[in-house]
Amino acid sequence: MKRLFTHLISFALLCGLGGGATFGQARGGETLIRNATILTITRGRLENADLLVRNGKIAAIGPNLRAGTNARVIDATGKFILPGIIDAHSHSMMDGSVNECTQSVTSMTRVQDILNPTAINLYRELAGGVTSLLLLHGSCNAIGGQSSTVKIKYGRPVEEFIFPGAPPGIKFALGENPKRTNFNVPGLQRRYPATRMGVEEVIREAFTRARDYRAAWADYREQSRTNKNLIPPRRDITLEPLVEILEGKRYVHSHCYRADEILMLINLADEFGFKVRTFQHVLEGYKVATEIARHGAGASTFADFWGYKIEAYDAIPYNAAIMTRKGVVVSINSDSDERARRLNIDAAKMMKYGGLSEEEALKLITWNPAWQLGIQERVGSIEVGKDADFAIWNAHPLSVYARVDMTFIDGDVFFDREADLARRPQLEQERKTLEQAEANRPPARGEGATPPRPPSAIRRAYTHDDDVHYEEDNQR
Amino acid sequence: MLAALSVVALTASALWLAPARRASAQRAGVDTYAITNARVVTVSGPVIERGTVVVREGLIAAVGERVAAPPDARTIDGTGLTIYPGLIDASTTLGIPRPTPTPGATPGGGGGFAGLFGQSAPSAVSPNSTQLPGLQPEISAADLVRPGGNEIEAARNAGITAAQTAPRGNIFLGQSAFINLAGDTPQQMIVRSPVALYVGTTPIGGGQYPGSLMGVFSSVRQLLLDAQRYREANAVYERSPRGLRRPEQDKSLAALLPVLSRQMPVVMQADSERQIARALELAREFNFQLVIAGGTEAHKVAERLKAANVPVLLSLNFPRRTAAASPDSDPEPLRILRDRIEAPKTAGRLAAAGVRFAFQSGGMTQMNDFLANAARAVEGGLSPMDAVRALTIRPAEILGVAQQLGTIEVGKIANLTVTRGDLFAKDRRITHVFIDGRPVELRPAATATGGATGASGNWTLNVNLPGSGEQSEFTVTLNLQQQGENLTGSLQGPLGSGQIGSGSVTGDDIRFNVPVTLPGPATQTTDAIFTGTITGNQMRGSVQIVGRGPGTFTGTRPAPPAEGGRPPGAGGGGRTRPAATPTPTPTPPGGGTPPDGASNP
Repeated sequence: MKRLFTHLISFALLCGLGGGATFGQARGGETLIRNATILTITRGRLENADLLVRNGKIAAIGPNLRAGTNARVIDATGKFILPGIIDAHSHSMMDGSVNECTQSVTSMTRVQDILNPTAINLYRELAGGVTSLLLLHGSCNAIGGQSSTVKIKYGRPVEEFIFPGAPPGIKFALGENPKRTNFNVPGLQRRYPATRMGVEEVIREAFTRARDYRAAWADYREQSRTNKNLIPPRRDITLEPLVEILEGKRYVHSHCYRADEILMLINLADEFGFKVRTFQHVLEGYKVATEIARHGAGASTFADFWGYKIEAYDAIPYNAAIMTRKGVVVSINSDSDERARRLNIDAAKMMKYGGLSEEEALKLITWNPAWQLGIQERVGSIEVGKDADFAIWNAHPLSVYARVDMTFIDGDVFFDREADLARRPQLEQERKTLEQAEANRPPARGEGATPPRPPSAIRRAYTHDDDVHYEEDNQR
Repeated sequence: MLAALSVVALTASALWLAPARRASAQRAGVDTYAITNARVVTVSGPVIERGTVVVREGLIAAVGERVAAPPDARTIDGTGLTIYPGLIDASTTLGIPRPTPTPGATPGGGGGFAGLFGQSAPSAVSPNSTQLPGLQPEISAADLVRPGGNEIEAARNAGITAAQTAPRGNIFLGQSAFINLAGDTPQQMIVRSPVALYVGTTPIGGGQYPGSLMGVFSSVRQLLLDAQRYREANAVYERSPRGLRRPEQDKSLAALLPVLSRQMPVVMQADSERQIARALELAREFNFQLVIAGGTEAHKVAERLKAANVPVLLSLNFPRRTAAASPDSDPEPLRILRDRIEAPKTAGRLAAAGVRFAFQSGGMTQMNDFLANAARAVEGGLSPMDAVRALTIRPAEILGVAQQLGTIEVGKIANLTVTRGDLFAKDRRITHVFIDGRPVELRPAATATGGATGASGNWTLNVNLPGSGEQSEFTVTLNLQQQGENLTGSLQGPLGSGQIGSGSVTGDDIRFNVPVTLPGPATQTTDAIFTGTITGNQMRGSVQIVGRGPGTFTGTRPAPPAEGGRPPGAGGGGRTRPAATPTPTPTPPGGGTPPDGASNP
């Protein structure tokens, strides 16, 4: 037994311990991808083109590029390069509840505090060509928590996930979720607000307090120049992010459905002098697309998903196309760990519904969400000088037959289909060995033993997120 | 030579003991003991292969090869025995009573959902506090600790003589104390108080902020910021009170001042790499002295821990396999299979990386695992001497009692753990335990700790959800694993399969959230909150499903296993069981074996 144990230890060491560490290890260096079709998004489609990656950036694009002798060379004949897909509404990397539901204003909470870099869905999203995520607080409150923008550097320490220089954001929510329409238990007291009017007032009151807070600090700074014997105002981490919004330093990403509540928030933002960066879900956005465009906000919506509650009934699949035509920067998001893996298909649907061009459709999942997150100078298109965040697809990414062969972030490989397939027998073997180990064998009797199967326990088919988690934030 | 040594030793002890004489004179009986001809692992110096330890009036009076037993001493022949410094459990809740559940009575008011699900506040309550229970750093273990009880006895039976004990609770748990596990009053038990501030990450819940992990971090951050301002405001006011409104006195914030000035360390429970990283980040932000408790994956952050000089109170409660909740559930993830193999290796890796660490029991329910798992750490690469240190002098150093405890040296508190066989040998038996210079009675019966009854096991639940359409009765399988007060596990059956999101045990009361999928045309997965009470192998309570009316449930489980170490079938009591396969769990060595010799010499 002891020999087996020792054997096992050495085996585990051989296999490498970190779950997805295998692909994320090589850093820096040069990579030359030859003879691909490059979908640049901003500069059209380049046939038989080479892409040179150096020090994590796109160093050159064009025919017959040369690389240093140590460069990794990948032949991509017949393959497509698409900028890394950006999901502008995700909860994939969050530990525990995505909602702090106890209050109507929870701007003190930060998604950054609960990042989980080992969530397996991140790896699956890499396999769908996704490289960046906007991680949002749930929609429980009119003003929710602070969001995080991340690159999916699966296998790396959590601090390497943080998108450097991405503008900070915050989640707002309007309508049924913050007023708790669908979440009340009979006989129990409801949390304020219970109506759309109340939601508006909660936001107005919070910004009024934020204005006072800013004034109190300005006052203190002014007076403390001459009077050294002052006690400073209390620092309030609930109001500080709202002051940042008022000062244009923090993006507002607002969950919404109905046209009236969208107009309400635009008016309220005008009243306090701030901008909404994106409307999220925004299923009735097509009704007020002109107003959204005039405000300068983006819209991040579903391709064809609605009817899961009253405020989601008046939706049409032409939403993204109509808003695009009216000049809104539109993205298609997932809001689901499962859907995030095939955002390319959701983008393709927008050519069928509303007749977007190929490039417009691809923009919905690349450059447009990059703009919505304020990271368009770094990612979202294939251009010299931008971050080398992209995926190599075996077919045109708008085809249902397309799949990802490799995904790069900052020039490093984070998903490699061939390597993944090659590793599977090894993992299977490791599993067999591990299952033999004493610590992994279940007790046959007593505490923790396998129970007799209850007569009525019929195992249900595994339910996918999108069947049940139309908005994950609602559910958790 | 012999005489000279004894004289030195006795003189030293006489000097040391002089002030304590009066107090100890009130205790009846013998106060001098000598264990002769024993192997002495002093930890402070080389191992004495055959020597004597003399204990007088609670302190170590002499130790050495040529020390003679004083004529007035009770002498124990230590031939074949090994004397270690008394083992220390670096993080526990020993002696801290569980707060009585008071349904609906969450002080502080303001929350419409307070007590919504009949939840009890698991935290102690400080009067006139500005903070809600669960957020009161002024709570002190020294005010709560009670002598005696099964848990303390079980720890002593496992050879443990002293422990850090901390209040139970949610977020700001309060200040810990270092206690000896003997004494008739709390005052006699306490060695040092306060030791550290405990910060946990359990949301308060029941409708009160914070109700999520995110909110936990925000509330900790706000309270520490408030404490910084409190310090500044009081400094300004003391300098010149005229013309200033006086700052409000606030004992919660005042309790945080020693933390901000790095005089009191903060113990944070963190096992995974990311939990430890979060704790390190918070410590960096507020410049407090951090101690990690748990630390299963601490080796992955070893460099950062070393750089920040953050010690680890490493849990010996290694993850164990319990059976899948249902025979046809999904196979376990590879990561979990790996973790069970890797956990015992963490200690050796930390030692190699130069990170300071001490062992703690980590809320284990079978105290026999304490030394058995330390032995597994040795098997996993830790040197036996480092393992002894992690049970003696390291916790003493980390917890600020190294002048008093942790080694066998003249003048230190006479806490001793005596074994037959090496501490980490499978056939080792604890023969004597001395605490404060007095032998304690070792009884094999008291072993299990944790809840009055553990919640672990495979439960069959009948869930009744009235008014939920065609079907209102569901029979589901619930697999529960209790570790300390934490509850994990999964639910399988016609309500779908889901992992418990957060679960807790308070005495016999359990509470957990689990996602359920309700059958029907509109399949919907939503959180269900189970609240109930366990009586023996029965459980009953209520279930609250978001968006639906309340329901009820009852549950049963097969009777739990016999106490560790008993042969199969010995404690069957007529229960029907699946046929036993040979030794399915690693049987803790020495478990349940009576100590040899008279324990009260």
